[in-house]
Amino acid sequence: MPAEGIRSIRLEGAMTIYSAAEAKPSLLDQLNPPGQLALDLSAVDEIDCAGLQLLALAREEARRAGGELYLAECSEAVHEALALGGLASFFATEQEAGE
Amino acid sequence: MIDMGEVLQTFIAESQELLQQMEQALLDIEQNPDDPDTLNAIFRAAHTIKGSAGLFGFDLIVAFTHVAESVLDRARSGELPIDGTLSALLLEAGDHLAGLIAQLDAGASLEALPPGIITRGEALIGRMGQYLEASPSEARGEPATSASATASEADTGRDEGHWHLSLRFGPDTLRNGMDPLAFFRYLNTFGRILQVEALTERLPSAAEMDPETCYLGFELAFVSDADKATIEGAFEFVREDSLVQVLSPAASPDALRAHLDALPEDPADAGERLLRCASVSRAELDAVLAPVTAMTEAPAVVAQTTLMKAPVDGPVPAAKLRGDNSLIRVDAGKLDQLINLIGELIIAGAGARMIAQNSGLGAMVEATEVLSRLVEEVRDSALTLRMVQIGGTFNRFQRVVRDVARELGKDISLQISGGDTELDKTVVEKIGDPLTHLVRNAMDHGIEPLEVRRAVGKPLQGRVSLNAYHEAGGIVIEVSDDGGGLDPQKILAKAMQRGLVTDGQTLAEKDILNLIFEPGFSTAETVSNLSGRGVGMDVVKRNITSLRGTVELDSTPGVGTCVRIRLPLTLAIIDGFLIGVGQASYVVPLDMVEECIELPPGHLDGRDYLELRGDVLPFIRLRQLFDEASTPPRRENVVVVRYAGTRAGLVVDQLLGEFQTVIKPLGKVFHQVSGLSGFTILGSGDVALILDIPGLLGHIPRTPNDLRQASPVATLT
Amino acid sequence: MSQPAASVIEASDDAQQYLTFRVGQELYAMTTDCVREIIEYAQVTPVPMMPTLLRGVINLRGAVVPVVDLGERFGSGQTALGSRSCIVIVELGDTEQPQLLGALVDSVSAVRHIEEGALRPAPTFGHALRTDFVQGMVRVEDGFLTLLQIEQVLSICELAALAGQRHA
Repeated sequence: MPAEGIRSIRLEGAMTIYSAAEAKPSLLDQLNPPGQLALDLSAVDEIDCAGLQLLALAREEARRAGGELYLAECSEAVHEALALGGLASFFATEQEAGE
Repeated sequence: MIDMGEVLQTFIAESQELLQQMEQALLDIEQNPDDPDTLNAIFRAAHTIKGSAGLFGFDLIVAFTHVAESVLDRARSGELPIDGTLSALLLEAGDHLAGLIAQLDAGASLEALPPGIITRGEALIGRMGQYLEASPSEARGEPATSASATASEADTGRDEGHWHLSLRFGPDTLRNGMDPLAFFRYLNTFGRILQVEALTERLPSAAEMDPETCYLGFELAFVSDADKATIEGAFEFVREDSLVQVLSPAASPDALRAHLDALPEDPADAGERLLRCASVSRAELDAVLAPVTAMTEAPAVVAQTTLMKAPVDGPVPAAKLRGDNSLIRVDAGKLDQLINLIGELIIAGAGARMIAQNSGLGAMVEATEVLSRLVEEVRDSALTLRMVQIGGTFNRFQRVVRDVARELGKDISLQISGGDTELDKTVVEKIGDPLTHLVRNAMDHGIEPLEVRRAVGKPLQGRVSLNAYHEAGGIVIEVSDDGGGLDPQKILAKAMQRGLVTDGQTLAEKDILNLIFEPGFSTAETVSNLSGRGVGMDVVKRNITSLRGTVELDSTPGVGTCVRIRLPLTLAIIDGFLIGVGQASYVVPLDMVEECIELPPGHLDGRDYLELRGDVLPFIRLRQLFDEASTPPRRENVVVVRYAGTRAGLVVDQLLGEFQTVIKPLGKVFHQVSGLSGFTILGSGDVALILDIPGLLGHIPRTPNDLRQASPVATLT
Repeated sequence: MSQPAASVIEASDDAQQYLTFRVGQELYAMTTDCVREIIEYAQVTPVPMMPTLLRGVINLRGAVVPVVDLGERFGSGQTALGSRSCIVIVELGDTEQPQLLGALVDSVSAVRHIEEGALRPAPTFGHALRTDFVQGMVRVEDGFLTLLQIEQVLSICELAALAGQRHA
């Protein structure tokens, strides 16, 4: 359950180099209006470095706009990629966000 | 956009090349067991395949190659002699890998392999494993002996401590189909990543960020038994535009300093990252950084320039297997398309030229002449693009000869000459099967058993030769052996028994020998394992004929046999000579045309030969052959053609001159028709037929000369 | 990877489109699925030594296409050329290696829908055509229409065998 005041962004399908060009503008669009945003990646079934990079970019953008991007939920594939790519602790979790 | 399929294709093609090299080297090493270069080449090939396969996550290939590599490593260090059994095992392992690659090539998944392949792989791993078990160095993992391990292993990272990898991927990494995560997964197959830290500093603002450009860098703490070359080798595919720095466990202060300097970031920041990965201690770092901070600024700039360079320390063994840099790999499909387009260009050009000529505008005619000359040059250089040397195909037979000789219990060597003779790739691809059959046949039926050779005083080792050379617009490939030769009487007897020859028919010895290419003929008195494979000489002949080529055989009893295959250089575009019969136009390949003469009057009395400068020239009346009903012109012409030593005339209505001929295949409907070898399209848009001269010459009546040489059948039976 | 659900276009009814044409006096039809185009009869290059049903070859934008005389194929004699003579270009074989063939007919009539239910089995006797050529018969205004099994009529294997029969 997203906490009060947090808007949820849900992504699905593949986040790979093949879809990165289309994924970037749509992900950035969803960051507006800025604020407390929770990413739901439970339906992302495939992710590679291009995808990780976009997630990192989104967090930077969210912060630049004065907000924050949290990682609410993620699939097994995303979990593995984040761990493998050393980004597991890059995103704050929602619990931390709620505090 | 990037195309993963293309990258995979490169992997497949390179692996196939490497396996080919590995096989060649394994065959060489049987002759030359002590050559370290050859052994290294084998090892490097296996190593590179393993590395590349890891990138694609082909764990099955990685695991299998790893075992082979370990065996090779032991051989390389001199612990294991390479003998016949081992090289045979490694050849089999190479075959298995080739099989796996073939699965990938066919678009199949390695997850769903046929059970036969899986069992074979497991069996091979088991057999190779036996070479590893006896190894003293393999025992290093056992606790009982590890206590006595000495400190001499400091550079190999086998003991405590871990490697540190600093990776700054080049901007095109993702676009080229590489995923850094895949590299990490691969590292985990021969070690364990303890910690990863991602560097996101290079990420630009959202507006500037190109989602297909790689901005990420990584710091990795990695524990593994592998050596430095193996770890660096994992990044083989990205070395060119990425920075890959590998720091050994317990590295010296100098090595650490060099590592930090090579990184684009400030050494102090970089050092902190290494510290966070527990790859260095605070004290070590301070010791290295202290003098530098005093020197300041300059190093940062120096480091920037090294960003895109691969580290210079440590050898790069796998790279040596790469070919010449001035060569580029081109998709054969693209070449085919180019040649098709040039074909269309020639046809369109012929059309333009005809219109120009009809218009009567001199300048226009001149301009189209220039154009067509240029088109001709473009055609020639485009066709050479598709030319490849036949040597590659020939070399593959080293293996065939070796294996078949063992199977037969004969000692046979293969001699190769003319390997640098070039011909069209499409022809090369199709010549493999017929050649294989001919080589096997020569070994099985040609070369006599050892006892026989000894008895007649021949060298005990039999010899099979492959030779190639150019001849009049075509290529000749010879498969010969120094075996017992063919017995014409036996062949004739068999042919009569099979009803291929009737009583009273007279045949020259050469014709008798060539009966073995007739369907349903086999000279093998005992059907051996080899000849029992179903492909007869008739199939060889059919294959060659479908390539617009011919095959003939020469043999001397007791001395040997030579099969000569003649093939056109290309199957795409030829210089043709256009002739007219009735309303239709036909093309004769220009390189088979010797001269044209007028048919002397008075030859209409049914005779089918004329005298040309003292020689008898048999001829074919194409009007008659083609059932042309219209009245013949007042003057008819004779085109004198020559093919494979036979000369004959074709009587035609008109000589229409040279014509650049784009060959359109006969297609499924007409491919069995004899006398025709293809279609082409004229400048007018009409279709013309290309005559199959070898096929037509087969119908020529014998000249008196031949008749004199022939022996009557009756005396032979 | 997430993929959009493929949109399936359902045929509105079970009527199929057929091209109708005349060979001699008879009206025939073949499914339009394999018809590539219809061209006027022109510039057919005869191929010598071929049986009469193979009229020759044409240049169809760079491709050499064999032309089969359907009159000869049906045993009703050579198709006489007239102003309405047409060559129906048919694509047969698998999609990997499609084979183009031309069928010479006396005239092309129309494309019409034929309901599956209207199809009658071909009579087993009293019919001039080889039974494997016929898919069925349909009753139309002015008599019967023979639906052809065009892969059989223009069977590449069979044509190749016929072409290869007469050697030079």
